[in-house]
Amino acid sequence: MRTITALWLRNIRGFVRDRVKLITSIIIPFFFLYIFKSVFKTDQVEDPTAFLLAGIIVATVFQTSLNIATSTIDDTVSGYMKEILVSPTSRFKVALGQILSAATIASTQGILILIIGFFTGLSFDHWYTVIFVLLTLMLVGLVFSGLGLFLASMVKSSSTFQVVQQAIVLPFTFLSGAYIPLAFLPDALRFIAYFNPMTYTTAFFRTIMLEKGGLTQTEWVELGLAFELNGFVVTPWMSGLIITAFGVLFLFLATNSFIRADFNKISRNPLGGE
Amino acid sequence: MNPIIEVNNYTKKYGDFTAVDDVSFEVEEGSIFAFLGPNGAGKSTTINTLCTMMEKTSGTLLIDGRDVSTEKDAVREAIGVVFQSQTLDEKMTVNENLKMHCVFYGVPKHEVKERIDFVLNLVDLQEWQHKRVSSLSGGMKRRVEIARALLHYPKVLFLDEPTTGLDPQTRNRMWEYITRLQKEKNITIFLTTHYMDEAEICDHVAIMDNGKIMVDDTPENLKRLYTKDKAIVSVKNPRVFEEALKKENQTYKKEKDTFYIHIDAVQGFLQFIEQFKDELKDLEIKKGTLNDVFLEITGKEIREETAE
Repeated sequence: MRTITALWLRNIRGFVRDRVKLITSIIIPFFFLYIFKSVFKTDQVEDPTAFLLAGIIVATVFQTSLNIATSTIDDTVSGYMKEILVSPTSRFKVALGQILSAATIASTQGILILIIGFFTGLSFDHWYTVIFVLLTLMLVGLVFSGLGLFLASMVKSSSTFQVVQQAIVLPFTFLSGAYIPLAFLPDALRFIAYFNPMTYTTAFFRTIMLEKGGLTQTEWVELGLAFELNGFVVTPWMSGLIITAFGVLFLFLATNSFIRADFNKISRNPLGGE
Repeated sequence: MNPIIEVNNYTKKYGDFTAVDDVSFEVEEGSIFAFLGPNGAGKSTTINTLCTMMEKTSGTLLIDGRDVSTEKDAVREAIGVVFQSQTLDEKMTVNENLKMHCVFYGVPKHEVKERIDFVLNLVDLQEWQHKRVSSLSGGMKRRVEIARALLHYPKVLFLDEPTTGLDPQTRNRMWEYITRLQKEKNITIFLTTHYMDEAEICDHVAIMDNGKIMVDDTPENLKRLYTKDKAIVSVKNPRVFEEALKKENQTYKKEKDTFYIHIDAVQGFLQFIEQFKDELKDLEIKKGTLNDVFLEITGKEIREETAE
């Protein structure tokens, strides 16, 4: 337990000390909000700002958790991972500490954007929506921190990792409906989007944040909160289950591959170590 | 004396390449043991295996009676490691780095502060406690790493090239800390180094080359066995001097007007040189050094370059 909390605190401290990262990660979402609001005008939803804001929050939480969880790579490159691994502390606890801190930072960031959103006119009809929103953000953070750590313990060098990260972040966010509604996508891309865990994450979170839980299936489908696949409707609640399942899978893969990873093999400089 | 490190028939292969080839040695408790060898000799591989960071191919390696492959956690608790490359958390302060170490090694909470003060005092870094590691100089960072490695009171301290890249003054101080530790705390110190003068201070020296241990003895014995004293002489009349050397059957080398003469016994040589008392321009008698031993055994000059 001490290892987990200590690592958790350390990573959060590290993030807060990195002012540039902190500020840009809050500014950039609003930049996106501004751009997409002017591009994407629709009559389908009564409140496009809230609709977009929900997507942006979920995309931010996703990207941040992936980013922070992969800071494990930085720890390997800087050498600090060696200090951790030569100690008798269990690798499982180290993995948990890394995942939990990434999830915390990511969901906090989502909450910050949400708070700023309240000042720009966002409001909830029911007070308990806030609690559901917070819980969902934490779940999303946890799911993708797991994915992040899994990726981090799979790669062999930090330069390949940059490429892998880009290759994952872009399609995951843009083919999820977070920024651009899936209805706007060509059929082929929409088909791919159905395999993207972020698609279900976005639909689930949006349903919660926009308080659309009580709609009929047709209304959900119209708003892009549910998907009709061959006549079968994936409701937002099923989406919730799907991401939970993905979460369990990612967490299992992450801890498992972290425990087995041979960190000696990751080259510490671009010219290839010793 | 009982051995704290016991290595028997240790072999490490990377594919077809044998990095360490059937090596056996022992390190006595409370001693300073130096591991020398040219780059790529297998020193770091051996250290990494002893530190549980790398799996052996075959053989047995015991630290304090515990097997490094099957009793990893027990071994990890018994050792402190300072790796060749830096392993500090640069974004955190010195104190935070030390605290994290205490967590990883399960140092009881109420002892943490006391132990941090103790190790910082040992390396004279108390005033730097709350500075970020990134603001420290290279020598200070090394001292922090040594201090950190001692927090959990290890029985064996591994130092992989602890003084590489440090200025001579810092190197000296580092050695003061190391010898102080050994004397006061009876910690066994296992180190690799590129500096021969540093190896001289150690109780035991092993020279490794091409994955094998070539010799393993005290510095004094090694020098006695592998080196000869040397006299460097220049005289007013080299020709006469050379003839006298030949007549006495001395082994020597001549460069310009300077003679490099191997001495078997200093007494005998002094009697010989007596005759040329008035002719002498310069005379220097040099004792054999570990560097000579190293050259003799590996055929290579040790150079100050790092693996990275």
